[in-house]
Amino acid sequence: MKAKRILAALLGGIMMLSMAACSNDGKNEGSSAGSSQAGEETADSLTIWAWDDTFNVAAAKTAIKYYAEKEPDVKVNVVSMAQDDIIQKLNAALSTGTYDGLPNITLIEDYRIQNFLTSYPGEIKELTGSVDPSKFADYKLKFMTDVDKIYGVPFDSGVTALFYRTDILEEAGYQEDDMEDLTWEKYIEIGKAVKEKTGKAMLTLDPSDIGQIRIMMQSAGEWYVKEDGETVNIKDNQALKDAVAIYKEMVDSGISKQVADWDSFVGAFQKGEVATVPSGCWIASSIRAAEDQNGKWAVAPIPRLGNNEKSVNSSNLGGASWYVLENVKGADTAVKFLAETFASNDDLMNDLVSEISLVSTLKSAGELENYKKENEFFGGQKVFEDFADWTEQIPAVNYGLHTYAVEDIMTEAVQSIVKGADMEKTLQNAQSQAEAAVG
Amino acid sequence: MPKTKGYSMEHKTNRWGWVFVTLSTLLILLFVFYPMIQTLITSMQSGMGSNLSFVGLKNYTRLLGDATFKKALFNTFLYLIIQVPVMIILALLIAVVLNDPKLKFRGVFRTAIFLPCVTSLVAYSLIMKSIFADDGLFNKMLMGLRIISSPIPWVTDPVFAKILIIIAITWRWTGYNMIFYLSGLQNIEPSIYEAADLDGASAFRKFTAITVPMLKPIILFTTITSTSGTLQLFDEVMNITGGGPANATVSISQYIYNLCFKYSPNFGYAAAVSYVVVLIIVILSFIQFKIGGDKREH
Repeated sequence: MKAKRILAALLGGIMMLSMAACSNDGKNEGSSAGSSQAGEETADSLTIWAWDDTFNVAAAKTAIKYYAEKEPDVKVNVVSMAQDDIIQKLNAALSTGTYDGLPNITLIEDYRIQNFLTSYPGEIKELTGSVDPSKFADYKLKFMTDVDKIYGVPFDSGVTALFYRTDILEEAGYQEDDMEDLTWEKYIEIGKAVKEKTGKAMLTLDPSDIGQIRIMMQSAGEWYVKEDGETVNIKDNQALKDAVAIYKEMVDSGISKQVADWDSFVGAFQKGEVATVPSGCWIASSIRAAEDQNGKWAVAPIPRLGNNEKSVNSSNLGGASWYVLENVKGADTAVKFLAETFASNDDLMNDLVSEISLVSTLKSAGELENYKKENEFFGGQKVFEDFADWTEQIPAVNYGLHTYAVEDIMTEAVQSIVKGADMEKTLQNAQSQAEAAVG
Repeated sequence: MPKTKGYSMEHKTNRWGWVFVTLSTLLILLFVFYPMIQTLITSMQSGMGSNLSFVGLKNYTRLLGDATFKKALFNTFLYLIIQVPVMIILALLIAVVLNDPKLKFRGVFRTAIFLPCVTSLVAYSLIMKSIFADDGLFNKMLMGLRIISSPIPWVTDPVFAKILIIIAITWRWTGYNMIFYLSGLQNIEPSIYEAADLDGASAFRKFTAITVPMLKPIILFTTITSTSGTLQLFDEVMNITGGGPANATVSISQYIYNLCFKYSPNFGYAAAVSYVVVLIIVILSFIQFKIGGDKREH
């Protein structure tokens, strides 16, 4: 009996302690991020959320160093978090209007920002006046602009490129000249030769992530939605149909290696299992991580759709920008921070080029010193100059609000087309499903 | 309550009883029933993020034509129909074997089979994912034994991905159910088995005619908890396959998560989907009680 009582008391104590701990947690997070006290727009500490330690987080840390020289009184922290977690936390907090624990500045992917601007009006601070639109690439500004109002500071370019292994392609009988201005049709032909002569796959494909199709589609200036960002554009989207046909051919011809997620995608090229990586330029930092392949890589423009006249050898994949949360204490300080760093500082950008292989969306980036350097890893190629050239040619599209909702429907459609389903009929279905999902 | 001067012992215990009951009732009201009602109200609304507006039953009609929802529902039921019976039978057989007093190292075996269910869901999912990766332990073993010539695409093939999820959940939960059966077996009077032995009943006969009927309430209990657990399946699918390839393994819970956090956030529609899960669990539990519970009334 006595033992039971002691046990009960213990349990009760533990419960109370854990509750106290919970509330403490909340407070701590709140104070570190600067909780929401309406009216107070300046703060002496700021918090930034970003993903990818080798890229965005590293960039934020360098920016903090620069800012500390100018404003030593403002303390800035950066918190590294997976992108999915950032999205989830922002959604949960903004939909309930609780700002405790939210950051002042956050990185949001370009595909998603329209979504946040529409879902939570008044939560993301307007930066018109603090950001000079003439300094940034037009295609990038389009995502975060509502008529004349600018809501973010553009960051990295998602310009696509075809990274390829010169040694493997040589073995298959192709020189660097053969890789310039490719069409995807020719690319598949090369892939077959590579497979036959070296036994290696040409590229990786992930059935759950059809970024490859997004690349091809945008190269022809089309997207899952029309120019207004709302009208679903699947069943009559010629670029999408051409892209899906190419995708099917890539699977059917056996030149692709199926992967399941980011890690296996990165692992495949780092272990030398594929000959090329057609992706966003930000993948360069991961490619360079495989130091044993130093000098064996080169970069060419992304192939274009041979059957589609509108398609060019340039496209975009991913990329993100910085945003300030309006209702978290210290919004003005945060705006100042961004204005002094990512929105204007060429020296910072120059450092980031060498540190994280940043391809900036600042128009002046092409003048940066580090941009003109030859890159040893890529066989002495001046890759950043190339990236900058291609960035200017990216066809601008309006990603609209529902990229990931539509993409999920499309992954299923693409898989069934690959397995032999009729393209017209499947896309027709996908169209009506997507319409229901965005309606 | 009658108000008399000087509380008797009985009154005092009664009063304390009410205090305890009130506390837990309040907590349940606040943390279970209030959210349930709020969710029901939310499920009648639609819109992106915080722009919710009242739409009546539109979310529920949208469900009828939603192919991804149907797929999630189909997947979840597939897991349920294959995995729950397999696991229950396996757990029952293991429990019977491990209950044999003549078996040596019983404690070791029991612990080994129970251990998976003290591991965290995310941790074991990640381990499963690495074991069943293209160049993972399992494929390497099969290839080393020359059973297969090329790796089985466990995660990228829609059929194998489903099998992988089923293998994973079975590994994680069989031991958990086994514990219930073991405790149930210990409550069966040994004399019943002795009587059966005297009558010359075979081991199989004893299992079907004594063990299973005596364990019926426990089988019912484990079936219901496993069923509702499978209907809420999330961690494994999220961490092992991410719902892929192309939604081939997506579960209802994961679809709800996607609707809130992956796509354009639509909390109203997500709430409607979660109410469907509530409805299905209620119906299934009711059916299981009807089938399995009738004899207990005698």
